[in-house]
Amino acid sequence: MSELLYSLLNGLSMGATTFLVAAGLTLIFGILRILNFAHGVFFAVGAYAAFVLVGGAAQSIGTYVLASAGAAILVGILGYVTDLVVLRRLRGVEGEYALIATFALLLIGTGVIKLIWGSDPLVASPPSALQGALKLGPALVPYFSIFMLATGILAFVLMEWALNYSHIGKVAQAVARDPWMAGVLGINVPLVMTASVVVSFMLVGLAGGLMAANQALTPHLADGYLLLAFNAVIVGGLGSVRGAFAASFLLGVGESLLVMLLPNLPGVPIYLALIAFLLVRPQGLFPNPNAH
Amino acid sequence: MMRTPNLAYVGSVAAAILVLASLPFWASQAVVFVAGVALTSALFALSWNLLFGYTGIASFGHAAFFSIGAYFTALMLRQSPETSFLLVLAGAILLAAVAGLVLGYLILPRLTGVHFAILTLAVAEVLHLSISASRFLGADDGISGIPRPTLRLGVFALPLQSHTAYYLFTLVVCVLFTGALWWLCHGPVGRVLKAIRQDPERSAFVGIHVTRYRVLAFTISAAMASLAGALTAPWTQIVSPEVAFWMNSAQPMLNSLLGGTSAFFGPVIGSLVVAVLNYQTRTLLGVSELVVGGILLGVVLLAPGGIASLARRRPKANAGTLHSAAADCAPAIDAGGKV
Repeated sequence: MSELLYSLLNGLSMGATTFLVAAGLTLIFGILRILNFAHGVFFAVGAYAAFVLVGGAAQSIGTYVLASAGAAILVGILGYVTDLVVLRRLRGVEGEYALIATFALLLIGTGVIKLIWGSDPLVASPPSALQGALKLGPALVPYFSIFMLATGILAFVLMEWALNYSHIGKVAQAVARDPWMAGVLGINVPLVMTASVVVSFMLVGLAGGLMAANQALTPHLADGYLLLAFNAVIVGGLGSVRGAFAASFLLGVGESLLVMLLPNLPGVPIYLALIAFLLVRPQGLFPNPNAH
Repeated sequence: MMRTPNLAYVGSVAAAILVLASLPFWASQAVVFVAGVALTSALFALSWNLLFGYTGIASFGHAAFFSIGAYFTALMLRQSPETSFLLVLAGAILLAAVAGLVLGYLILPRLTGVHFAILTLAVAEVLHLSISASRFLGADDGISGIPRPTLRLGVFALPLQSHTAYYLFTLVVCVLFTGALWWLCHGPVGRVLKAIRQDPERSAFVGIHVTRYRVLAFTISAAMASLAGALTAPWTQIVSPEVAFWMNSAQPMLNSLLGGTSAFFGPVIGSLVVAVLNYQTRTLLGVSELVVGGILLGVVLLAPGGIASLARRRPKANAGTLHSAAADCAPAIDAGGKV
């Protein structure tokens, strides 16, 4: 029973992390129609940046969150530059050019990380306040998992609010639905697109910064997360934040429970489930109304 | 459209084959090794581009088929070295063809475009994880110490153990299969596939069985990818679960798009260029990715038709700009993916 509770909470925390990565991915897709392959590498950049900012291990939750925010800002700036140099030139071009360009970015980013930090893993640890575990009945729940879960939910609530209730969010939705019409109505479409790229990058930089405290950093840190996030974005419905949120948790909890039940085949059942899901409901849980 | 092969075209292909064939006699072992890898990756890229450049479907999990060939060959050479190597290769081709056929019939009638891409990615990941978990296949360590075979044709036997012999054998097989693919792509089947890429709906309207041809292309492509894997295993003499990882699926895409997906030999050019770049930058940690990524980005932004498009004469003066070139030589990733 305690094992079940533990893997449930572990899955929730994994889902929250996946959502932080998937959120930016689905945001860019929703507004720019670009599936950003390089998303994962910016996660890694955020992680390394936070690592440098705190000099290995954060002393308190405050510095740790501040360092992650710093990483988010840095990655956001990189996002602006990326948009200026690459993504802006890809608007209105066939989808696979964007795919290959972002794949090139992935390679460049990996190369830069290797040049600066080498490929040996760097090990960081979370601030001491987050190192313990909460005793929840018979189960031990690491504070770090709880923290990630809370962050994921907070990010979702903020995004949902911003997209659906704020003026900027409504403008962004208008651009997502019909960029041409939005432009005719006087909306500064390129600005909205750039802003969504920056926000998306900041989210993934933040995710990287937060997660840096809990694992060894390598240049290929994000490969696994990217795959999970891709899956979440697809299952949720391309371009839907709500869908990405639901799917992230579904996949996280599903994976966690399956690892407990079938420890010999890590990951395989979840991918089989994904395949079956795609064959039955390719449009995802929350189909994007803007998809042509 | 059937392009009549002109002298320069045929000449450069022949020259390239000659240079590759003469490599073991004047270049270092390391260079020959890289060339051998480049040959199989060119075959791999060609197989991918049959799907993408000709049929308009993007597979993101082609490493699955590559790894079927690689692991099958590795197992056969380790477990029963007496089996004829040609038979082993045929087995690798057949195995992947059946897998491609079944998967194709399962997926292609339902999904194309981005969903197809992600689904193939998931299939490859299942294989990757299963291989990593299978003790029979060496789990994370893979299979090492794969012996190179002896080719037995009736009475005479051709030992392929030496570097040079196996390299030349690889070259011959790659040239033969590339030739066969060229013939396929430039014949009626190739024209049908191109029609499907350009407009699946209209193709169906004029009586083309779109799904059947897509499945056909997927099957052939799977078989060729498997052959590339089968040739690689004895060359590198080790296979590990990495060959089924999605980074390996990205390799043929990268090579094809770099070389140009609308030219038949684009993927080959791309593979050779990437091989040279990797070789030149091999000792500099991180520089390899930086250079390959940088060049790739440059190609996408400045010459989106790939390297091959630079050599082709274009009627339009502004051919180098993204939008005009993209419009006429870009097979859309979601061609037919309209939901």
